[in-house]
Amino acid sequence: MPLNKIPATMNNFDHILVFKTDLASHRDVETIRPVLDAVTHIEEWNVDLYDEDFVLRIVSPRATHQEIIELVQAEGYACAELK
Amino acid sequence: MRKRDTCKEETVKAKAIEMLVADGFEGFSMNKLARACGISVATLYIYYRDKDHLIVSIGNEKFKEMSESILGNFDPELDFEAGMRIQWENRYRFMVDRPAVTRLLEQFRNSGYQQQVMPELAEAFKKTMGAFIHNAVRRGEIEEMSLETYWCIAFAPLYALMRFHEEGRNMAGRPFRMTETTLWQTFSLVMKAMKR
Repeated sequence: MPLNKIPATMNNFDHILVFKTDLASHRDVETIRPVLDAVTHIEEWNVDLYDEDFVLRIVSPRATHQEIIELVQAEGYACAELK
Repeated sequence: MRKRDTCKEETVKAKAIEMLVADGFEGFSMNKLARACGISVATLYIYYRDKDHLIVSIGNEKFKEMSESILGNFDPELDFEAGMRIQWENRYRFMVDRPAVTRLLEQFRNSGYQQQVMPELAEAFKKTMGAFIHNAVRRGEIEEMSLETYWCIAFAPLYALMRFHEEGRNMAGRPFRMTETTLWQTFSLVMKAMKR
């Protein structure tokens, strides 16, 4: 994503949750896409496929760690809060 | 609300540059960076959406700093030798003062990230230098040549010397250190080669 397109929510640090996952490929990301896109309070999400922790980053004012972990695990993937 | 800690952010950037230079873009990981900075990986992902975002942001910022250093007091209307002298001075100073950043920017040039780093700024850079060469040709100070030919005569000697300096040895493996005398002697030979 070009830098100038990064939404303003980037700066609202309280709304960012991060998880270590095993979403290691574009295919894995596509598998969970409909699940995360369906959650209306998730404003933005992405998976860092180029890093060893395959970090799932969620921008949402309301999401809880537990909620996201359950959603991702229900699709058969590992997901743990990154501290 | 958590505040963005600019002091911590600067430490993170400096450490990231050090690690990117040492391990390359492939070998770089957010986890290793977080550990080296004594912060959590989660904190890094608050600042940056992913590894690419971190690399590109740092690249953009440093490329901007380099452009400002090189073009800051440069005017494309200057006569050829005076303009070139400022270019050599600025480029030399930047390489001496910011060796890690210089190496990082070189890595960007040789990587797939090149297109993502400041395309507008690169364009502005090309435009200023293009105008400078055009003026010199128009005034009959140098002959018309391609931008590549110009760069290879105008700056490649400086970069080759700086590479020897950084490695501490010359092409034959003998110890080498850049000095102002070598710098300006080389410059005057470059002027001899280029000026009509």
